[in-house]
Amino acid sequence: MKLSINKSRGLWWGISSAVIIVGLISMIISWQNPQIQAPLRPGLDFIGGTRLQLVRDCNKPGNCDKPIDINIVRQVAQEQGLADSSIQLLADEKGQENGVSIRSKTLAVDERTKLEAALAEKIGVFDPQKNQNDTVGPTLGKELFTSGLLALVISFIGITLYMAVRFQWDYALFAIVALFHDILITTGFFSIIGLLFGVEVDSLFIVALLTITGFSVNDTVVIYDRIRENTQKNPNLSFYDSVDNAVNETLTRSINTTLTVLLTLGAIFLFGGSTLHNFALALIVGFAMGAYSSIFIASTLLAWWRSRGINVSRTTTETTV
Amino acid sequence: MQRERPILVLIIVVVIAAIAAIATIPVPLGLDLRGGSQLTIALQKTPELQRDFNEQDLEAVKKVVEGRINGLGVSEPIIQTIGKDKILVQLPGVNDPKQAERVLGGVAQLEFKKQKQNTETPLQALYASRAQLKAKQAELRNSKDEGEIAKNQEAIQKNNQAIAELFESSNPPLSGKFLTDAGANPTQTSKTWEVGIRFDQKGGELFAELSKNLAGTGRSIGIFLDNELISAPTVGLEYAAAGIAGGGASITGGFTAQGANELAVQLRGGSLPVPVQIVENRTVGATLGKDSIQSSIYAGLGGLSLVLIFMVFYYRLPGVIADISLIIYAILSWASFALLGITLTLPGIAGFILSIGMAVDANVLIFERTREELRAGKSLYRSVESGFYRAFSSILDSNVTTWIACAALFWLGSGLVKGFALTLALGVAVSMFTAITCSRTFMFLAIKINSLKKVEYFCPNLLKTTDKSGVPQ
Repeated sequence: MKLSINKSRGLWWGISSAVIIVGLISMIISWQNPQIQAPLRPGLDFIGGTRLQLVRDCNKPGNCDKPIDINIVRQVAQEQGLADSSIQLLADEKGQENGVSIRSKTLAVDERTKLEAALAEKIGVFDPQKNQNDTVGPTLGKELFTSGLLALVISFIGITLYMAVRFQWDYALFAIVALFHDILITTGFFSIIGLLFGVEVDSLFIVALLTITGFSVNDTVVIYDRIRENTQKNPNLSFYDSVDNAVNETLTRSINTTLTVLLTLGAIFLFGGSTLHNFALALIVGFAMGAYSSIFIASTLLAWWRSRGINVSRTTTETTV
Repeated sequence: MQRERPILVLIIVVVIAAIAAIATIPVPLGLDLRGGSQLTIALQKTPELQRDFNEQDLEAVKKVVEGRINGLGVSEPIIQTIGKDKILVQLPGVNDPKQAERVLGGVAQLEFKKQKQNTETPLQALYASRAQLKAKQAELRNSKDEGEIAKNQEAIQKNNQAIAELFESSNPPLSGKFLTDAGANPTQTSKTWEVGIRFDQKGGELFAELSKNLAGTGRSIGIFLDNELISAPTVGLEYAAAGIAGGGASITGGFTAQGANELAVQLRGGSLPVPVQIVENRTVGATLGKDSIQSSIYAGLGGLSLVLIFMVFYYRLPGVIADISLIIYAILSWASFALLGITLTLPGIAGFILSIGMAVDANVLIFERTREELRAGKSLYRSVESGFYRAFSSILDSNVTTWIACAALFWLGSGLVKGFALTLALGVAVSMFTAITCSRTFMFLAIKINSLKKVEYFCPNLLKTTDKSGVPQ
């Protein structure tokens, strides 16, 4: 079976545009949402705040007899002036809800200690070995965000330059277009799950985007490498055919590599630490998109661009496109 | 066999060395995995300081922070400066950094005090016991006996308090804000060092007064930083008339270069009117950290074994070879983490696992190419050879792009992000070595063994595919 990606490029371009537009719409809705006010729901890494995770010490007799009543936790938070905090109960490995997670404004040490003491009194003594506390000041959050964004931009520029040197500038341009495609779809996806399920993006999300950048270009490079080789080996073949051949010749590789990476990522997503959960999810979406866009976007765009300037007599064989 | 043998020997030697390195040098775990508290402290601008912070300011404040953290009795604290205005404090094993957070805030308190009359003998005694307590503390920190450390720390605090009581403030107090500079200089006469200090005009007057009072009495000027005595110089009799005038003085006493520098930095830190604020606090309980390392390692191993199985299933003999080089890859990368002293964090583990994906990709590229050449009717040897040769440029290009992304991350990222970038970049580098050297050597060795020299071990459906599509050219 041979895949003629250039014949149905309208379909691929249409699907991708539609998915990207859905993501963009979600970002706009999210921006208008008074609770979010940003295209994606920012985590405390970027806006500052405190996330406190406390788990009851069930080795103490009687400490975990009663289940935690979330309303009591809410009431305690309200008494401390933290009414707008988001509060969740956490289940332990036995499925019992003995933990509580509180996400609030940035708490100073005394406020935090007071809150912990008040909670311990109402719902039971906590095990300090299972505590987790993330506090980020608002200014630091902004710094983390800008440096993350800067890293992304710099790596884009670096990759474009490298591609332009190793290939040609139009190869570089379309590799970056495909890259934007992957990044836009991944951010769009997280915007949607941010709206629907309250998933937040943190520093690790930017790390994920950068990793997606590396892998997405990687996939594109392999195909472009083949296109270059094919056009040199067989200069009489139309550019469309060279691209089609290159995609087909590298298809098994694309599928196998993506499959193996997704296998490990799937394992991290399902069984890895909770910190890595969303990170793995972002990578799964991004890598899948990276493999897709290299074949269906980067290659078709390059073929369209390179054949655009060629006079009609040489492209007559391409009437089907 | 002749060409491959030396490389094979090299690979075996490298792998044995790597295993030895793994066995002897443990890879340190980040606080997110072993549990502990990480505080980021930022220097705060004040109206009094009309300039940007520089490296010297940061070093000086770091010294103050070190003094305060050491006062807590935490074992193995790590204190580092980041950028121009931040200090990172890592407190392993601390589940709730309440105490640290309380002592770290606020401006350093430096004061030059006057020793009270008739306190020379008790001061000597307290000095002696302080030296003993500090030595004991250093010893205890290695033993990690939390209870004993805390007890000894309390004794040190009591000792500090007792020493402080032997001194009194001058009127008005000569505090650090009058100090304009402090620096270590070599003395002219001998090989020792001294610490030069300089006051502003008002401070110079106060210091002259203070030194006049104490000159020749044998009582000392007590220099206190955050209420702890850091130096107690005496003043010579020759200054009894006018004191040390002119606003400058030097503290001598047989300092080494290091000792003098340390005191100078402490003095500078104490003179800076810079309050610090904790801008980030990441604390992970020890059990929680252990849980997340366990689940992530299981996830990684699970994913890895799936990949290994897939490779054998799909690529047959080359798959087995790829698996061997992947295992070598894992050993070598782990050893390079150990050798480079990389602290392993949770994102670091993720970076490592991802780099395995990259390592697989290199092998997949090579084997796919080999199969293509086989389908094109080339001999086994030629196919393997051109598989490696032709795949190389793709492998290089794709790895360089990943390195570019890693470099950006490493350059601009924060601590956790850096760990990820470093492990991924290292992994990719090692993977190029294993894919090109190990897989290649093993492949060529394999095709020289007659019983393995069967095309169907390399490309199972070769005959079928050629039948369908006709004999290729």
